[in-house]
Amino acid sequence: MGNINRRQFVAGSAAAAGAMASAMAMPRTARGADDAWGDLKGRLVYDGEAPERKKLVVDKDVECCGKFDIRDESLMVGEDGGLQNVYIYVRTKDVAVCPDLEKSCKEQVLLDNRDCIFMPHCMSIWASKQKYYIVNSDPVAQNVAFTPLLDTPANIILPVGGDATWHFKRAQRAPVPIACNYHPWESAYVLPLDHPYVAITGKDGSFTIPKLPVGELEFQIWHERVTYLDTKDWPKGRMKMKLQAGVNDLGIIKIPPSALEK
Amino acid sequence: MISSDTDLAPGNPRQGVRPLAAILLIQRAVIVVAALFLSGCTGAESPSFRINLEGRHPAEISDNQRDAIAETMEEFFGTPDEPRLPDGTGLNLKLIETAAGPVAGNADGTEQGLFRQHCAACHGITGDGAGAMATTFDPYPRDFRRGTFKYTTTRADAKPLRSDLRRTLLRGIPGTGMPSFAELPPEQLDALVEYVIYLSLRGETEQYLVQLVVDEGEYLPLGVDAKEMVLEDAVLWVAEQWAVVEQNPQEYVVPVPPRPVCGSDAERAASIARGKELYASKDAQCAQCHGPTGAGDGEDERIYDDWNKPKKGVTPEQTAKLARLYTLPLQRLRARDFRDGAFHGGSSPEDLYRRIHIGIKGTPMPAAGPQPGAKGVFTPEDIWDVVNYILSLSGEK
Repeated sequence: MGNINRRQFVAGSAAAAGAMASAMAMPRTARGADDAWGDLKGRLVYDGEAPERKKLVVDKDVECCGKFDIRDESLMVGEDGGLQNVYIYVRTKDVAVCPDLEKSCKEQVLLDNRDCIFMPHCMSIWASKQKYYIVNSDPVAQNVAFTPLLDTPANIILPVGGDATWHFKRAQRAPVPIACNYHPWESAYVLPLDHPYVAITGKDGSFTIPKLPVGELEFQIWHERVTYLDTKDWPKGRMKMKLQAGVNDLGIIKIPPSALEK
Repeated sequence: MISSDTDLAPGNPRQGVRPLAAILLIQRAVIVVAALFLSGCTGAESPSFRINLEGRHPAEISDNQRDAIAETMEEFFGTPDEPRLPDGTGLNLKLIETAAGPVAGNADGTEQGLFRQHCAACHGITGDGAGAMATTFDPYPRDFRRGTFKYTTTRADAKPLRSDLRRTLLRGIPGTGMPSFAELPPEQLDALVEYVIYLSLRGETEQYLVQLVVDEGEYLPLGVDAKEMVLEDAVLWVAEQWAVVEQNPQEYVVPVPPRPVCGSDAERAASIARGKELYASKDAQCAQCHGPTGAGDGEDERIYDDWNKPKKGVTPEQTAKLARLYTLPLQRLRARDFRDGAFHGGSSPEDLYRRIHIGIKGTPMPAAGPQPGAKGVFTPEDIWDVVNYILSLSGEK
């Protein structure tokens, strides 16, 4: 095949075929018209008493890190029961992406080493478009290590005031855990995707994924305690729906504590 | 009759025992005997590859899922006796065929079954580092299925060159159970290197496939689209990562600048003193694992390589539970005691330069030198000073 990258060749052919197919199938009034895209929103609520977050063992760089109240972040429930840090993302292969999102996409996603933990605890990144900018805001050296499946592994030393820029070469099917070899209590997750359709629930458990393509879509839901979150509404952590134009509000989704037990 | 599916029941690993010469001799003898068994001299049936379900409870995987994985893997990669490769991987199937199969002599005088003869007893038929001998070693034989190789000349974020794997075969890994195979003719070394890459490519593909079918619960049976996705996203993707390094060594091999010559004892002492300070610096954190005097007795007694990290839970109870999900027991990693002077990746100053600059892939040892996107903590001059300091600890120059 010489120098032709087979993946690019196949992807190029598929894109050309896809463009022709969509041009012929549906007469659209204008590219990016409101009836072509819809939002998905909802709110995940932990249907039980919020467990107390365990204090983690801080036994390195204690002079610096010992003064923070560092607690387990693997199950975060807000005051009103909001289930935080749940990933909701599109599973459908080669999902159409709204041009507005391509334009408004930020150049980079930030991972900060601050107060001896990673901030934020959960993030996502558009692998082909965004850089992963990693910063050390702590007064001690930090390390960032992750091994995304089939992608290059990272094991980066960040001296005090140091930074690094990382590129994910491919999307992942599930979030990638991030660790620090110097401070074993630290943990975070990053989900590289090849599209922008992902949301991570906030402190109140709410999420919005804007400007999804109207039509049949499959979503996945993931939480670090159990990976794919298997519940009544999302068997095996998956959900298929026909997305409508405008706002698709799933309302309040109650997650029983048993669904988050390993 | 020994098949590759022999379950290695997690036993008590030998903690902290380094094989004495006599034990090494016995191990070598047992390896030969085991190889004979595996080679079919006893009339055993053909061995098959063992499915990679590390970290997953076997009871949670359905027969359908197992079959789907086995069928797809055989379609792409064949069997231990009859290897196969999809088009476009860039691997040399003829070499792989020489290394594959049962041990035999061909009519033209060439040998067959090289991997089974020399490697499988430790590395396993599947290259999973869980051959019959595996639990007798500390560290364990390499599990190729992660696609990670520790001692390379290439950047921290890159696959090895074939010459890196060849070097390991030629030198062995001193201080471990990996012997030197320097006595083998060059074409046999080439065949073994190619077969290791084949097993590694196969292993990474299988990781992707198991995540898709088992973790994610992909719809079965796998359709043409799904298999095409595995081919593109896994097989050809990983093959490309190997190929791009081989085709662009100038970009991926870390250059080792000439070692500054120390004209006098005073110059050498100054370099060692600088190296000692850099070693102890807070930015590099060397002492954390290697200890304040480089005796491998850092505070971090709980370090693990990437193959063992997943087996470690947050509590001892959790670790005990996890043990049931993995083939080999949890094994600690030992930070090198520099006083020994025996370095697994080679003891020359250039070898040490590479270890410090690149780090050791698959372990907590990070890249101290610059890599794309990260400045690192040491300049090339710094690294040479640290190398001089480390060599001084074992009385070497």
